[in-house]
Amino acid sequence: MSDPITDKETKVKMSDHHQSELLKIVGGVAKNPLGLIGLIIVGVFVFCALFAVWIVPHDPVGMNIKDRLQGPSTTYFLGTDQLGRDTFSRLIMGSQVALKVALPAVFGAMFIGLTLGMIAGYGPRWLDNFLSLVFDTIRSFPTVMFALAVVALVGPSLQTIIFVVMATSIPIYGRVARTQTLALRNSEFILAERSMGASLFRILGIHMMPNIIGVLSVLAAMDIPTVIALEAGLSFLGLGVKPPTPSWGSLLKDGYALIRQTPWLIVAGGLPIIIATLGFTFLGETLRDVVDPRLRKTR
Amino acid sequence: MITYTIRRLALAALILFVAVTAMFLMIRAVPGDPVKIMLGPRATPELQASLTAALGLDQPIWKQLMIFYSKMMQGDLGVDVFSGRSVTHIVMQQLPYTLELIFASIIWSALLGVIFGAYAAANPNTLWDRMIAFISVSFIAAPAFVIALLSLLVFAVQLRWFPAIGVGEGFWSRVHHVALPAFAIGLSWVGYIARLVRASMLEVLGEHHIRTARAFGLSERRIIMVYALRIAILPVITVIGVGMGFLLSAAVFAEIVFARPGLGKLVIDSITTRNYPVVMGAVLVSTGLFVLSTAISDIVNAWLDPRSRQSL
Repeated sequence: MSDPITDKETKVKMSDHHQSELLKIVGGVAKNPLGLIGLIIVGVFVFCALFAVWIVPHDPVGMNIKDRLQGPSTTYFLGTDQLGRDTFSRLIMGSQVALKVALPAVFGAMFIGLTLGMIAGYGPRWLDNFLSLVFDTIRSFPTVMFALAVVALVGPSLQTIIFVVMATSIPIYGRVARTQTLALRNSEFILAERSMGASLFRILGIHMMPNIIGVLSVLAAMDIPTVIALEAGLSFLGLGVKPPTPSWGSLLKDGYALIRQTPWLIVAGGLPIIIATLGFTFLGETLRDVVDPRLRKTR
Repeated sequence: MITYTIRRLALAALILFVAVTAMFLMIRAVPGDPVKIMLGPRATPELQASLTAALGLDQPIWKQLMIFYSKMMQGDLGVDVFSGRSVTHIVMQQLPYTLELIFASIIWSALLGVIFGAYAAANPNTLWDRMIAFISVSFIAAPAFVIALLSLLVFAVQLRWFPAIGVGEGFWSRVHHVALPAFAIGLSWVGYIARLVRASMLEVLGEHHIRTARAFGLSERRIIMVYALRIAILPVITVIGVGMGFLLSAAVFAEIVFARPGLGKLVIDSITTRNYPVVMGAVLVSTGLFVLSTAISDIVNAWLDPRSRQSL
């Protein structure tokens, strides 16, 4: 390999370059009003999830039957549920659950989809056909129906939701990664690497991946709201996160059962989901326009 | 074109075949004896043995799969564990309600989406265009089941404009009952379709025949409504096939929230009672529906746009 000092220098320059690139992207997003709104909403959401334990004014699972089904007040910002639990505290803790599902599921799916997609695009024809068929098959299930079938078989839990989300979104990432790999596999820098005898791992991991990961990250950002909604939806059906863990969906489940007694639970549980999904969508859309305007046509 | 149609249908059949096999194997791969899960822990060994034999679970796996396929080809999806009724019959009884909901959503969302999209494209970069773009993104992002809950709360429980449960009898009552659920699950499609129509409309407006129409001095209104829109709505026809999958998913929530009968409600009810044959039957039918509708929309697309035929 080359002289260690210059190698180090290039690395430093590389990381500098990456950082300024990231700053440029964030700056570009913040310039767009929608992007800024998205950035703020997502920021608040992540902040709530990270510091939930310190933010909550009451114990999110602590019951206080005396104060059940109250409307908003200074003690209980968003009222209480049928067991006298503080809705606001449950909401804040719920954001943690939402993020706990969304992040590992989306990043896991992105990583596996990227790997499989690159193998499909770069590997032999039969493997490509096989993987494409697998992708198409998984996509042929309506998402919620697939989720319900899996939940029926293995039972509801946080892991089940993560598995379902990963299984259903791997094909999306896989397809995009495959198309990109196919487009790049005969480009000159890849051919040059191959003629120099680079290993498959090196070609895909070091040369191919950086060219694909940008597009996939944007897809991932736009996928997060869908995942948050799916988690809340399954928990609403009683097939997601198990009680007493506070999830936005289970908040709505309680609210639905008590819809004729109090409107507050549904309002308090529904609005955060809408606001959070809007925030992530605004951010994702702006991110896409900033990172790669060509993607605009695909959706 | 005929070759394409045959190949596309063959692909659909292959996908459905793999999907069914995958689901069948998934059921068998799950740890635990399905019979014990179905009957609960307190069932007697005799009862377990009789159900095992009735379901054919004592046969080798490939034979079970063969039996399953040959029965499915005859339209037999097994029997309900509790009532002993045919699953096919139960599913087919619920299917019309779900289809009614899905078609109602497609109709209203496509109408409104096309109007929004066409208007935005006719007035690009104006305040209206930006507002429609903002509304479209917001509609797309809003999760259907939250919209369903909020609209139930506001329009059915508080204002009492619409009924909160059931499907109704007679045409107008049915429309009245389907309105809110269809509103909830169609909302995000208004956004999708508006964006799609706007993009394709802008493309069409840049073409020669539109320039010619303008040169002939036709009114802008006539150009948009008659000459451009006809071409610009073609992509809408083809996304409706893919939309079936999303709507089938969203319909599950709408059926629960509004206590409507349908495939989704059937699946949820069957999960709570551990009625696995019904769950699998309903999931299979909805998957088949989705595969078929994507195949049809691909074929329609290929018929309208010969370039897309090469992709298969």
